[in-house]
Amino acid sequence: MILGLDVGGTQTDAVLIQEGRVVAAAKTPTTGDLLATLRIALENTLGHVDPGRLVRMAFSTTMATNAIVEDRLDDAGMIVSSGPGLNPEWFSVGPSYHVVDGCLDHQGFETKPLDRSAVMNAASSILNAGIPVLGVVSKFSVRNPWHELQAADWVGHSFSHVAMGHRISGALNFPRRIATTYLNAALYRLHKNFSDALIHILREKGLSGPRYLLKPDGGTIDLDMSIQRPAQTAQSGPAASVMGALALDGCEGVTLVLDVGGTTTDMSVVIDGTPLLKPLGIRLGPYQTLIRSLLTHSIGIGGDSEVRMAQDGKLKIGPVRRGEPAGFGGPAPTPTDAMITLGLLDAGKRDVSRLAMEKVGETAGWDGAATAERILQGMAEAIAASARAFVYDINAQPVYTIHEVLADQRVEPTSVLIIGGPAPQIAGYIGKALGLPCRFPRHYGVANAVGAAVARVTSEITLQADTQRGSVIISEAAVENDIDAGFTMDQAMSLGRAVLCRQAAINGADEKGLEISILERQAFTMIRGYMRTGRNIRLKMGITPGLIPEWKRGG
Amino acid sequence: MLHAVRRTGLVFFPAYDWAISPSHPEREERLLYTQDQVLEEGLLDIDGIIEYRVRPAGFEDIRRIHFCVPDEAAVTTESHLISAGGCLVAADAVLKGEVESAFALVRPPGHHAMRVVHGNRGFCNINNEAVMIEYIREKYGIRRVAIVDTDCHHGDGSQDIYWHDPNTLFISIHQDGRTLYPGSGFPHETGGPNAQGMTINIPLPPQTGEEGFLYVLEELVMPLLEKFEPELVINSAGQDNHFNDPITNMNFSARGYAALNARLRPDIAVLEGGYAVENALPYVNVGIIMAMAGMDTSCVKEPNYDTDYRPQPSEITGYIADLVDRLRGVFLEGGLKTVPCEEGEVVQRSRDIYYDTDNIHERQHEKIRCCKACPGAFSIASTSNRGQHILAVHVPLGACRACRDIGSAWFEEGTRGAFTHVYLQDRVRGVYEKT
Repeated sequence: MILGLDVGGTQTDAVLIQEGRVVAAAKTPTTGDLLATLRIALENTLGHVDPGRLVRMAFSTTMATNAIVEDRLDDAGMIVSSGPGLNPEWFSVGPSYHVVDGCLDHQGFETKPLDRSAVMNAASSILNAGIPVLGVVSKFSVRNPWHELQAADWVGHSFSHVAMGHRISGALNFPRRIATTYLNAALYRLHKNFSDALIHILREKGLSGPRYLLKPDGGTIDLDMSIQRPAQTAQSGPAASVMGALALDGCEGVTLVLDVGGTTTDMSVVIDGTPLLKPLGIRLGPYQTLIRSLLTHSIGIGGDSEVRMAQDGKLKIGPVRRGEPAGFGGPAPTPTDAMITLGLLDAGKRDVSRLAMEKVGETAGWDGAATAERILQGMAEAIAASARAFVYDINAQPVYTIHEVLADQRVEPTSVLIIGGPAPQIAGYIGKALGLPCRFPRHYGVANAVGAAVARVTSEITLQADTQRGSVIISEAAVENDIDAGFTMDQAMSLGRAVLCRQAAINGADEKGLEISILERQAFTMIRGYMRTGRNIRLKMGITPGLIPEWKRGG
Repeated sequence: MLHAVRRTGLVFFPAYDWAISPSHPEREERLLYTQDQVLEEGLLDIDGIIEYRVRPAGFEDIRRIHFCVPDEAAVTTESHLISAGGCLVAADAVLKGEVESAFALVRPPGHHAMRVVHGNRGFCNINNEAVMIEYIREKYGIRRVAIVDTDCHHGDGSQDIYWHDPNTLFISIHQDGRTLYPGSGFPHETGGPNAQGMTINIPLPPQTGEEGFLYVLEELVMPLLEKFEPELVINSAGQDNHFNDPITNMNFSARGYAALNARLRPDIAVLEGGYAVENALPYVNVGIIMAMAGMDTSCVKEPNYDTDYRPQPSEITGYIADLVDRLRGVFLEGGLKTVPCEEGEVVQRSRDIYYDTDNIHERQHEKIRCCKACPGAFSIASTSNRGQHILAVHVPLGACRACRDIGSAWFEEGTRGAFTHVYLQDRVRGVYEKT
């Protein structure tokens, strides 16, 4: 039996899955106390289930996201070495940010040694400010982690935790590496406390199976392992909905997935069962990060969005949510009231909803039903317009080889899958607005929790071999080996596979039958003065987001 | 979040699957480290720096400007079309007002490609800037364009294409042709009979440093631009003046390039040469992008700048001051000795053109009608050692009646001659024919 639990902004959904089917689902209001909410959600779901039968638990939580957006991060000190380029002071973050001398070039050659005394001074000043956690980042550390390792070695023992830039991601982007490292340092204690408390609650309930957290890339990570990189558990809600859609439907062809919630609608694209990933990393509050995520887009329109008639005689829906729909005693008319008025939804007080509709349509001379009809059409059209812009942006992504330009593989959705509370009521309207077949799966209301429950562990490695420098580096996995001039792509591939499998196992994956995808594979001959001087091999492989084998599609 | 002071478009096409030959300077690896540096610096995250996706240019875009022998397909690869197309994307971004300026970092380069194309010269087949400019003129109705070619090599292809065009000011700053390929670009090359003084060559001695470049820019190039009042300034941004460049002898640095761009403020910059792929291009390109975006570039510096950069020798400074003085006299103070040209007179010239990359020898005979009313129709009879003997007739945009007529007559006459192909490029009617 598998437990999936998704903490949303207003509701926390939980599901129990047995033999590949959803056997129980429960909704619990989300309160300000995250742990209390989790405890209640667990009680509501598990009821009389024997805890010993739970073989897997997966959570999508808002702990890290909330801490970031509510600016409740711990203080973390930063030591950064840059070399030439953009001014590193522009990326200053946290209360104690120090730029020190030292430089690596794009190949990873040291062009200026790290200034040991500057590092020591920076560390003293951070400690003197009473800050116990440290982040160290150097430019091009993913090509050579030496300076970050040196800094950690020189001063790390004085800190309770040291986050290093090269361990986060093999991707190039120094400002994002700084921000992400800072978040990992500044979330360390909070996340550790959260996970300790969660483990405590689970033990209390007698739940001892493997525990996972969902990440924004739609994959999971072992709860214990997540403590090293807590920021990567932030903003997993949209990923939960994509994985839920995938679990409940399969998403053949090019599927536009819409998760229509109370406040927002999240959209994403799944191509033949594989969700599209964002090219670089997610934005968390004010921070651009290197945290891999699914490509999603969110608009401020949902079932509880405020509806009003604007001066120009046009209906405005969202982006504000004032509270519950009028029919539930809320302060403003909403699309949900429109659904109630039209009899599409049997909930709340129908006459209150109808009255609210009549009031909205009054100046235009529409009755309640006509107003409701127009609201749902307007809502669908707004979602459709946003979805078209989303798809347009996907197709405007740059490409870098002739092959890609000529292949010109454009994403063109062939169908729409809707999940979220109002899915059955709004599907027809959206299908019409987009001119595409539109469907919703069983368990559409708790799809996110299903997604969290059955998402497999993901992992990614970035390998860079440079025979001129004589090294092969896999930054995320702390691999740095010497290589000789004859190092080949085949050797790179087998090293990459081995390290990826090891990394995935550490992150909690079952080592048997991992599906590995090659995300990038390039080799360049390096020539100086018409002489071949070496080979530059670049390889990126990963376990892409997908479902655990135990899940049976459709639930 | 960082903001660009000027919204800047980037078109990045490194063509990781294209090379002239495996060990050629123009090969797959050339922009690899530039992309590494651009990505690592996080330049694309800056608000107001927008990266665009390339698209290939069509043969119709090439036909506005080139006579390809025997045809476009024979002298281009897909990468040439995408490189030129990348410039069109940059042009659209600027002309539609989405950005204030744009930089097309594309390969292969183009500024050695002349009007008639038999093959590859100086790593170029298709002149990216010219394809772009004629696209802009066609689509956005712009007339007056200035090209400032800052590549270390003389932009002889662009000069050839705009030799007769009084609406295009072509300025090339380069290492003296007596010391570097293609061996042309001297001050006496000032434009054809209808466009005298519209071509300006500024040959600089080897070892010219940033001081010299910036002096030339300030004292000569900027005043020339002010006088011409272009609607659009294009920078042929070759980066081989760099002190680390392996095939040239100049002494420019990344910060110098950045300063030059900050001052020149081109509407569109197009990458040309630059073959110090590891220790110059990454820094120069970052500097140019930041300068175009109006950002502070004081931290942009090559790792070896402090140890390897040698300031400009004083005798070079003196030489450049004299040269600039002389050129100011010619081009800014009315000292240009023009050759009288009677209305309707047909002026002829013959020349030999060598294609170094493809080892082609071409012999050209050109005729142009002197015209006060329009840029003038011209024809080129071209023979190459590959056995082609063609006649190409060009009727310019805004051509007067007489020039249109003589163009048609030349074309008609040509079709009865012993040419392997006869081409007509009629920019007025938009007719591009080939027999």
